[in-house]
Amino acid sequence: MPHDAIYMNKKLACGALVYGTSSWTTYWENGLKRDNPNLGRLTTQSATAMIAYGITRDINVMAMVPYVKTDASQGNLMGQQGLQDASVFVKTKTKAYHGITAHGVVGFSIPVTNYVPDFMPMSIGLGAKTMVIRGMLSYALPKHLYVNSSIAYQARSQVKADRDAYLAGSKLYQTDQVAVPDAFDAAFRIGYLKKDNQIEFFTEHFSCTKGDDIRRNDMPFLTNDMTMTTVGIYGKYQPKAFGVNARVAYVTDGQNVGQSTSISIGVLYQFKIK
Amino acid sequence: MKYIFSFLILISLVSCDKSVSESMIEPYAPAKVDETAGSWKTFILTNSTEVVVPALNSDAAYKKEVDSLKSIEVTASQKAAVLYWGAGSVLRWNEIARELAARYNIPPAANAEGVYPVPNAADPLADPKFPFANPPYTARALAYLSVAQYDALVSAWKYKYQYNRPAPSVLDASIKPLLPVSTLPAYPSEDAVVAQASYVILLAMFPGEGPFLAAKLAEAKNVPLWAKTNVNSDVIAGVNLGAAVAAKVMSRAKTDGMSASNNQAIVPDMIAHAKSLGFTTVWASQELPARPPMLPNYGAVKTWNFDRTTLESIRPAIPYLPGSEAFNKDLAELQTINKTQTREQAAIANYWADGPGSYTPPGHWHRYACEAGIEAKYSEVRMARMLAYVGTALMDAGVACWETKYFYYSPRPQQFDLKTSVGLPNFPSYTSGHSTFSFAAAAVLADFFPDRANTFMANAQQASDSRVYGLIHFRVDCTMGGKHGKAIGDYAVQKANADGAN
Repeated sequence: MPHDAIYMNKKLACGALVYGTSSWTTYWENGLKRDNPNLGRLTTQSATAMIAYGITRDINVMAMVPYVKTDASQGNLMGQQGLQDASVFVKTKTKAYHGITAHGVVGFSIPVTNYVPDFMPMSIGLGAKTMVIRGMLSYALPKHLYVNSSIAYQARSQVKADRDAYLAGSKLYQTDQVAVPDAFDAAFRIGYLKKDNQIEFFTEHFSCTKGDDIRRNDMPFLTNDMTMTTVGIYGKYQPKAFGVNARVAYVTDGQNVGQSTSISIGVLYQFKIK
Repeated sequence: MKYIFSFLILISLVSCDKSVSESMIEPYAPAKVDETAGSWKTFILTNSTEVVVPALNSDAAYKKEVDSLKSIEVTASQKAAVLYWGAGSVLRWNEIARELAARYNIPPAANAEGVYPVPNAADPLADPKFPFANPPYTARALAYLSVAQYDALVSAWKYKYQYNRPAPSVLDASIKPLLPVSTLPAYPSEDAVVAQASYVILLAMFPGEGPFLAAKLAEAKNVPLWAKTNVNSDVIAGVNLGAAVAAKVMSRAKTDGMSASNNQAIVPDMIAHAKSLGFTTVWASQELPARPPMLPNYGAVKTWNFDRTTLESIRPAIPYLPGSEAFNKDLAELQTINKTQTREQAAIANYWADGPGSYTPPGHWHRYACEAGIEAKYSEVRMARMLAYVGTALMDAGVACWETKYFYYSPRPQQFDLKTSVGLPNFPSYTSGHSTFSFAAAAVLADFFPDRANTFMANAQQASDSRVYGLIHFRVDCTMGGKHGKAIGDYAVQKANADGAN
């Protein structure tokens, strides 16, 4: 994964198919926590194909693409579905200081279909091209325990919306070009890793660098300053070439986002590339 | 090596320009100054001298005022203001109105008891804010804005040519104006006329925006001085004229029936009437909790370009009744789109959606109208005239469409198990507001800009189709709404063709 300290050995690859479901019934309209009977439960399901490959023990590349489907349990808004954004990451590490390992990750993503970006919250994605730079420090504790913390900057491109006028803040923009704000995320993880088996507890914080807030009783929009804090648990069991992983996460606090609970399970397969 | 790589990426990130650019509108000299506009027929004023603009003070006093312009040094921000307003006062105030419409176009949230509070004009910034600038509200606000601008400018033109005061730079060649100067006489300042008239109308329509509008007004009144295109007495005379005309326009607005437009007490009779026409299923709010229908009595608001008898005589015929063969055919079209909506259909539906948080379809058409007027290098008075006909046609379209909607009280497609990709308006289906608004505006624009008539009509057709693609209207709602809109627009065209401007 782009955010962990685990590397594939040289010429070793790991493919994964992951099913995820994320849903919320309450969301933060600006800072106001509310539900919306005209949405009910908003569910986003995804099926993601991914692959990681060891160029060397210290340089890995990863690629992934999800198929995403949204659905509201109440009201009359039409669900959306389709292939979302393909992403590629390069991750590398070096020994830094007294057993601390420093990692650098660079990633790019790009929408692979022309999905509707400005029909939130039903849209399957924001439609932006993104570039992510992540710095990460990991440290191995005794008894196969580890800690890992990272911080990342996500640069996000302008998006072409279907509409040609929109409000951002109190200003009316008369163009179909929408600036999606850049974002930071930071994470702290603590876990147990023995061979390829792993269990981890994590907390993540995501925050845009700027943006506007959802107006009273309005819909969310691409320009929103989204913030969320997530806690979760991740596990992986990989006795041989085949393995499974699972992740559960819960948003504890946020702004301009849904308070989602996310669950994913995946099957993994390791193989050599000659 | 990798550090260098990362560093280069960081640099490229930082240098990536993220600001959204909108097309700039440059100040221009009008193609024609419209010397005879003082005799054009007005909407509210009985004639162009109903409001008196005092005679000029002495030539010597004017010379002194002109001399005082020479000492004005503009800052960079003042110069930016000059270039902004120099693109056109009528245009800019129309844009400001559209921005306010977008900001106020959000339906009230239900309270804890499941009741939707009604916005309160006396407490406009409380939740829910007043107004809820939905399409009928916005159509009306923009119509009064444009009519006030037009009547005030016709009067201004009358006095400009009566008093014939030369512009400062014409009197004294050492004055270098920052904006193009035509042969138009300077007194009273047309920019001040438009600014004050617009301020009065918009403050009445958006009473919570006093400080915002006052700041715009203050800047707009300073611009002619900063630009050295007017002296202070031009501005003062313009402000007084604009205020007096706007007050007369507002007296019509206060008595046009809008204050009773949300009368919910008449709804049971409307439903009974629809059932008597044979509707087995009538419209019902699909929101949770059920929201009272939007402005059920807006259809009783006073129209501009035709009378009540005409409004009733051009009301579209009864639509297909639910369950009939023709109805089932329209329903089948929507059921197909519900399963197989193409990306292009979704894009068209989204482009024209103009839903909550937008300037609404009337705002969209005012924008198109402004863009066409600028391209034709219209003078201020001709721009205001065109917008007054487009604006009154849009309001008439709103009134007549709402009258039709509540006359038939017909159900929405969502009452037959269809979703929507744009969001569902909370009022009866037949006829489509988008279709009526769009064809009314397009009919007027086609008359003003015959070279682009086909484009405007095609735009209207697309706006109309968009409601089928978005699954919130039956085909018949759109075709009949479109025809109705065209007829409504033609009444504005007839009036325009007899106002002495062509």
